[in-house]
Amino acid sequence: MSKKESPILEVKDLRVDFHTYRGEVKALNGVDLKLYKREVLSLVGESGCGKSVTALTIINLLPENASVLGGEILFKGENLLKKSKEEMRVLRAKEFASVFQDPMTFLNPVLTMETQLEEVFMLDTEALKQAVIKQKSLRRDLGYSDFLSLKGEYGSPSTSNVEASKAEIKKMAKDLCIDVLRVVKLPDPERILKQYPFELSGGMRQRCMIAMALARRPSVFIADEITTALDVTIQAQILHLMRELRDTIDASTIMITHDLAVAAEIADRIAVMYGGNVVEVASTREIFRTPLHPYTKMLMRAIPTVTRSVERLEAIPGTVPDLIDPPPGCRFQPRCPSAMKKCSTETPELKEIVENHEVACYLY
Amino acid sequence: MKLYEYIIRRLILMVFVLFGVSAIVFYLCRGFPTGFAPWAAYIHPKMTAQQIAEVIKVHGFDQPLHIQYFYWLQDIFRGEWGFTGTWAQNLPANRVFFDRFPYTVELSVAATILTIAIGLPLGVISALRSNKLPDHISRIIALTGYSTPSYWFGFILQLVFFYYFSLWGLPHLPSSGAVTSRLIGTIPKVTGLAILDGLLASNIEYAWDAFLHLILPSFTLAFISLGFLARIVRASMLEVLRQDYITMARSKGLKERIVIYRHALKNALIPAVTMTGIFFAGLLGGAMISEYVFARPGVGQAAVLAVFQGDSNFLLVYSLVLATIIVITNLIVDIVYVFLDPRIKY
Amino acid sequence: MKSISVGVRRGELAAKLADLKYTLYLLRKNPLVVAGSLMALFFIILSLVADQIINPDLAHTFDYTRSYKWNNPLINWGPGVAIYHGPETLPLGTDGYGRDLFKMIMLAIPLDMYIALIITVGSATFGILLGAIAGYVGGKFDEVVLRITDIFFAFPGLVLALVFAAMFGRTITNLMIAVLLVWWPPYVRLMRGQVLSEKEKAYVEALRALGAGPFRILFRHILPNSIYPILVQMTLDYGGVILTFSALMFLGFSPSPALPELGNLASDGYFHIFEAPWLLFFPGLTIVIIALAFNLVGDGLRDVLDPRLRR
Repeated sequence: MSKKESPILEVKDLRVDFHTYRGEVKALNGVDLKLYKREVLSLVGESGCGKSVTALTIINLLPENASVLGGEILFKGENLLKKSKEEMRVLRAKEFASVFQDPMTFLNPVLTMETQLEEVFMLDTEALKQAVIKQKSLRRDLGYSDFLSLKGEYGSPSTSNVEASKAEIKKMAKDLCIDVLRVVKLPDPERILKQYPFELSGGMRQRCMIAMALARRPSVFIADEITTALDVTIQAQILHLMRELRDTIDASTIMITHDLAVAAEIADRIAVMYGGNVVEVASTREIFRTPLHPYTKMLMRAIPTVTRSVERLEAIPGTVPDLIDPPPGCRFQPRCPSAMKKCSTETPELKEIVENHEVACYLY
Repeated sequence: MKLYEYIIRRLILMVFVLFGVSAIVFYLCRGFPTGFAPWAAYIHPKMTAQQIAEVIKVHGFDQPLHIQYFYWLQDIFRGEWGFTGTWAQNLPANRVFFDRFPYTVELSVAATILTIAIGLPLGVISALRSNKLPDHISRIIALTGYSTPSYWFGFILQLVFFYYFSLWGLPHLPSSGAVTSRLIGTIPKVTGLAILDGLLASNIEYAWDAFLHLILPSFTLAFISLGFLARIVRASMLEVLRQDYITMARSKGLKERIVIYRHALKNALIPAVTMTGIFFAGLLGGAMISEYVFARPGVGQAAVLAVFQGDSNFLLVYSLVLATIIVITNLIVDIVYVFLDPRIKY
Repeated sequence: MKSISVGVRRGELAAKLADLKYTLYLLRKNPLVVAGSLMALFFIILSLVADQIINPDLAHTFDYTRSYKWNNPLINWGPGVAIYHGPETLPLGTDGYGRDLFKMIMLAIPLDMYIALIITVGSATFGILLGAIAGYVGGKFDEVVLRITDIFFAFPGLVLALVFAAMFGRTITNLMIAVLLVWWPPYVRLMRGQVLSEKEKAYVEALRALGAGPFRILFRHILPNSIYPILVQMTLDYGGVILTFSALMFLGFSPSPALPELGNLASDGYFHIFEAPWLLFFPGLTIVIIALAFNLVGDGLRDVLDPRLRR
């Protein structure tokens, strides 16, 4: 993650509002984010701070009552906000894979796992055709890792005039399904494919969702609170899996969580969000060693540790801001012990204070 | 509980329900001799007063009501449903019923098909474009169907498609009966379903004629229930479209068409499909007015005539057969629901 | 006990008010519901003032020289129709007794609306009472009520109402009872279901611990909480009741052939369908519009109150 590289995904000053009965919810208040190749960036914050909204905006899956008011989302140089629905759909199929929080509600209960997994592979019949051809030349079964390495070899002249039959394509899809389930460490893939989501355990379902994401060979992997609905032991297993996959797949990951411990486990960099803004971004070590933003500092102090003995848990005084009528200027200012006059008039911008460490605060 | 235990329990319940239905109809028909003589089917005008009294005594019409009911129960277990009155030429009630029943079944089947063919797309469109113009239009259509008296609608259809069309020189649809009178009896009766019999006898003219006679009445019937179905489909679709797995399907980059047809529709149609059975059973009963208006020789028309003459025997057959169908259909629908939704386990 | 219960209700009231405001907001957004409500309101007001505008005695003036005649140039009904050459303009033609059909419909609307109201409220009340007690008390009573309801549900179509009407003679009261017999069972199921689910909730247990009797719990606490789906059902049933009642009249069970009632007027139209089609058309159309109005409102209400579809 050299700083000299340009980010693969960059969010600039993103503003999103929701129209509701009670008023306009100003969910995102100018979010800035940079995601570099092959890194894991963790987006951390309390519920309602806008983490999921940011992710949904990136892949254009906001509900109908949401409007993007401004900002840019640059992916490989292009502004995603300017793209059509169909173009975004293709991007979701080929570049952005998402895994969500609750595998029970996010999987279709009346379709088998096979249907739900195979349809992802079948999105890109060209790639499958390539895979069939490659398999024939390899003269052994194609696995997911081979499939992965085929990415980017589109339309090479040697393949464009060779045909693969529909049946072959379908079979390749099915075989890849089985192999990708092995990649996510699921035993007995053939049986799982025939089952319905409710017949699987929570951890297994989550792995299936991850498999569905892997099937697309994405450039950006968005994991939205994927461990929240699981119990701690399964959580650990999934995180372990994510760490292993990180080396095999060539993707950048945005790991959304409210649990700092999860972020600490797996992230290279952590971005802390509050009330619709990113308030601090730094490498994981930096954030834990030297948090700069008052909110981050209080967050660190609020986590109970095993090593230090504490009398009382330090909670952060006050409550989360009402996003319909947010406080002017910096949204953390009502609860901030170091608040200055300037904080209630203008929102601070994210600035690089120390190398690779950005903060949005007037203290610096 | 196990499946067969459940079925047996429901069947026992059904027997009880049938007793209740028959008791109520029996009591209403025979308990209040407001000018309707229950023995009308057993006498003819030439009988003397004494002969009539004989008949009354022999058939037990002078006994207290619960004794009559008991006799009636005895009779039906022997297969004797009694005779129907003058409007049906004093024939055995069950024969009259089963002669006419296929016409009603034909009508109900056609109406059910129409209901699904029109109601389903109407509901889906409503849901996909909810709260926009197509939704409003289909809801108005659906609710109008629900608000229309079938006798009125049937007559308007007759007026336009039969009377005015012939006035204006357009080819018109027949207004009454099941088959044009000169064609009656020209083919052997196999199933009693006019169109089917015509096809079986390779008599295309007959089958086509029967089909034409079926159009208006079935449309009249269907108009009322299609609104109901559209409503259910709409509500169901809307709920499904809000589910997380639809967001997931979209996030996979699937084409919207696939999201809707493969992911959403299958879930949404579960309640609608199960309702089809209930619709059919309901249409069997609702055919009453439609048949009356279109003079279709089915059991509904017969029931209306029977009511006017206080003919308890026919009404009992009618009520019991249809009640049985309703209860059994409900049972089948409940069981089918289990099979369609893999989440519900028995 | 009293003060606690008052406190509970004050809190409830505030929450209910906020809820109501949200409901009205959703309703206002739906143009169909607004249209339906306006139409329904129109008919209600019409029913209240109709006999001020039109002299009800007109229902008893019979002039057979004017039977089945039409003189409104806007619609041509075809060759079988007799044209009225008299001085009055008859916007909707005359009926078999020479009475102005328009005025008869104006008189019939209040009658039908009023009867439908009584039947709807009556069947709802009966069903609610039965369902509430059955659900709360449970046990044998509940079983019996369920079985009886099953029996009534199993009756095909209008048979029960027809048989009752045929046997008990032709008074309006008897006809109302006949229709009521068909429409009460859904309320039993509805109310019973509500009671069963509310019964398990914490506040009921609290009330019982405080010594509240079953009737108090049922009718001062559970019933108000369940009132929404019942109201929706009543609004939707209102149209159906008008349809059923007028169908009975249409088939010939009316107490007097000259009664200004929509189904009754249509009934005469049936026999003269080719020479006086307006006699069937306009009363029927009125029924459609009234039923549609209430169905629009009820349908919209049901959408809005569906807890799964609320934002």
